[in-house]
Amino acid sequence: MEYVMGIKGKGFAMVCTSATAVQQIITMKHDEDKILPLGTHSLLATSGEPGDRVQFSEFVAANVRLYALRNGSKLSTKAIANFSRGELATALRKGPKSTNLLVAGYDKGKGASLYFLDYLATMHDMNIAGYGYGSWFVLSMYDRMWHPDLTEAEALEMMRLGIEEVKNRLVVASPTYTIKIVDEAGIRTVTV
Amino acid sequence: MSRWSPYDLNGGTCIAIGGEGYCIVAASTRLSTGFSILTADKSMILEVNDKCLIASAGFDGDRSQLHKVLTFRSENYEHFHKKPMSCPAMAQMLGNTLYYKRFFPYYTFNLCAGLDDQGRGCVYTYDAIGSHERVGYSCQGSGKDLVQPVLDNQLKAPSILELPPKVAVTSLSQAEAIETVKIAFSAASERDIYTGDAVEIFILTPEHGVQKEILPLRRD
Amino acid sequence: MAVSSWRMDVPGLDGKCGQASRAAADLALGQDALLTNAEVTQANFPLPAVQNLDHFGKKVEDLVKPDHGTTTLGFIFKNGVIIAVDSRASQGSYVSSQTVKKVIEINPYLLGTMAGGAADCAFWQRNLGMQCRMFELKNKKRITVCAASKMLANTMYSYKGMGLSMGSMVAGWDPSGPAIYYVDSDGQRTKGTIFSVGSGSLYAYGVLDQGYKWDMDIETAVELGQRAIYHAQFRDAVSGGTCSVYHITQSGWVKLRGNNHYDLHYQYYPDGHATSANSVI
Repeated sequence: MEYVMGIKGKGFAMVCTSATAVQQIITMKHDEDKILPLGTHSLLATSGEPGDRVQFSEFVAANVRLYALRNGSKLSTKAIANFSRGELATALRKGPKSTNLLVAGYDKGKGASLYFLDYLATMHDMNIAGYGYGSWFVLSMYDRMWHPDLTEAEALEMMRLGIEEVKNRLVVASPTYTIKIVDEAGIRTVTV
Repeated sequence: MSRWSPYDLNGGTCIAIGGEGYCIVAASTRLSTGFSILTADKSMILEVNDKCLIASAGFDGDRSQLHKVLTFRSENYEHFHKKPMSCPAMAQMLGNTLYYKRFFPYYTFNLCAGLDDQGRGCVYTYDAIGSHERVGYSCQGSGKDLVQPVLDNQLKAPSILELPPKVAVTSLSQAEAIETVKIAFSAASERDIYTGDAVEIFILTPEHGVQKEILPLRRD
Repeated sequence: MAVSSWRMDVPGLDGKCGQASRAAADLALGQDALLTNAEVTQANFPLPAVQNLDHFGKKVEDLVKPDHGTTTLGFIFKNGVIIAVDSRASQGSYVSSQTVKKVIEINPYLLGTMAGGAADCAFWQRNLGMQCRMFELKNKKRITVCAASKMLANTMYSYKGMGLSMGSMVAGWDPSGPAIYYVDSDGQRTKGTIFSVGSGSLYAYGVLDQGYKWDMDIETAVELGQRAIYHAQFRDAVSGGTCSVYHITQSGWVKLRGNNHYDLHYQYYPDGHATSANSVI
C-alpha cells in the first residue's frame, strides 16, 4: 500500500515514499522512485493512481523547467506548490486526477518548506504531512516527536521509526522505501 | 413513490436543567410531519410522578407507546414497593426499555429529569437505543443543534471524569434557569421550523412538587 | 445449557453462524464459566417483521444515529496494566457528549473498555458485570479475566450478524497475573499485551508503539497512555473530551489521571502545537 510522509526540519525538508509499484495484488517492482526532483532545490513526492501520478508530476516538472528557461529565474517552492494546486483544482472539475503530492523544497532566504497538496487541491504548508493508511499511525507519532529545531539526524530517525511502525502494524505495508532530503546543498537520496 | 417506513419524525424540542434544589423540564408543543403542522398543542412530557418527568422528542407513535409502557411499569412498581419510582431508577429502566427494542428501536430521543433522593435536580440524556448518561442539563429533538451549544455556553460545568475532581453542579438559580429555558426556546422557534406554537415548562421542587407554566411561542 | 436457547430465530442469521461453530464456542468456554451464563443473558428482543433484517438494521441506524466514535488503549508492562480512554460520543458529525465514561468498572480487579455503539457496549458490559457477580456468589472466588472475557465474547457471538457494534478490552489482574483480552461484536476474542481500539486507535498505536518499553516505571507508563490518547484526540475528529488513565496491579485498579484535552494541550505545548507552519495564501 502506498505510503508518503514528509518532515520539515531546521534548514531542510525530508520526504519518504514506498518504493513499490503494485498491480492489483502483485508487487511488480521494489525500486520505483516516486520522488521527482524539480530543479536543484525542490522535490515532488507523489502517490495515487500510477497513470495520473506520473503524468501529473512530469507535467509539473516540465512547466517548472519551462518557467526557468523563459524567465531566467527559478520558481520558489511556494510558487511550485501554488501552480500545482491550480492545475489540480482545474482538473478536479473535469476528469479529476487522483494524485496526492508533497512539495518539499529549500529556498534561499526563506529556508525549507513542505506543502501538503491532495487530489482535491487542498494545500497547506506543514511541518509534517503524509498520505495513505500508513500515515494514520505515523502522523500521531510525528506529532509527538516533532520540534522546531529538528536536526537531519533526528528526522532520519523519525523516518526510520515511521517505516518500522508501518511494517509492524499495517497489513499491506510496502517492503521498500525511498527517502530524499533537500537542503541548502541540494537534493540527496539517503538510506536508513 | 417512496418505500413504506414504520417511522416518521414529528419534530419538537425539549430541554431539562437540574440545579441545587430544583429541576426544570420544558418541551415545545408543536407536532409536525414534513412541512405540515398537525397540531399546536401536543404534550411531549410524561409526568411519571412528582419526582420524575420524561420528555421525548422524535416519532409521536413510538412516544405514545413508550409513555404507555413506562406508565404501566411505574404504576406496577408503586404497587409492589409502596413508594413512587425514584428518578435514577426510572432513568435506568428507561435505558433498558429502549435497549430492549434494540433491533426495532423506539424512534424517540428522551430526557429523564427530576429530583434525586437528596432533592437535587438530576437529568439523564439518551440516544434512541438506550445509551444514557447523567448530566447537569441537556436538550433533545429537532432544535438540539441550535440549543445545546447555547446551554453549554451558559451552564457548562467541569467534567465529572476529571482528576482531581472538580465541582460539577449547574450553578444557576431557579429563576435564572427558567429564564435561560425561555430564551432558548424563543430563539429555537426563530430558526427551527419544528419548534413553535408554545412551550410547556415544568418546575420540580421538593417544597412545591410539580408546577406547570405555558409560554407562547411564534405560531408561524 | 441448551444451545438452542441462545438462538434468535432470524432468517438472515443461518448462513453466518452455524450450529457447529456455536457449539464449539460453548465448549471452549470451559467448565466454570458455563455455570453462570445461561439465565442472565436471556432476553427476548422483539424483531421487526421484515424480510431482510440486515437492511432494516442499517436503515434504522441511519435514522436513529446511535452514539459512536472512540479511542481506547490498554497495555501490560512490568508494573501492571494501563488502560486509557477518551470520553467523546458522536452521532454522525454531532458531538452528543464529551463526558462519556468509557471504562466500566466491573469489579475492583476488572475493567472493561467501550468502543463502538455506546448502548451496545454499556448494556452488555453492565450485563457482564452482573454475570461476574453471579459467578463470585456461586463459586466463592473471583472470576478470571480469561473467563470474564469469554462470557462477553459468547454473548456477542450469540448476536452475531444482528448488527451489534462493540470493540472492547477486558483487562484485569487474577491469580495468573495481569491480562488484557480484546473482544468484539464479531465474536473475536484474543489475548494480548498492547491493544488499541476505536476510530482513533491507529493514531494511538503510533505513539504507543514508539514509546512502549516492558520495564517502564509506572509514571512513564501512565504518561505514555495519556500521551497516546492525547495525540489520538488531536488527530481523530470523533475522539476527544477528557482522557482518563487507569492502572491495574495485584491489589486492583486505581484511576490515576483525568485530564481535559485542552488542559493537556496547553500543558504539552504552552506555545501552541505546530503541526502546520504558515498559512499559505
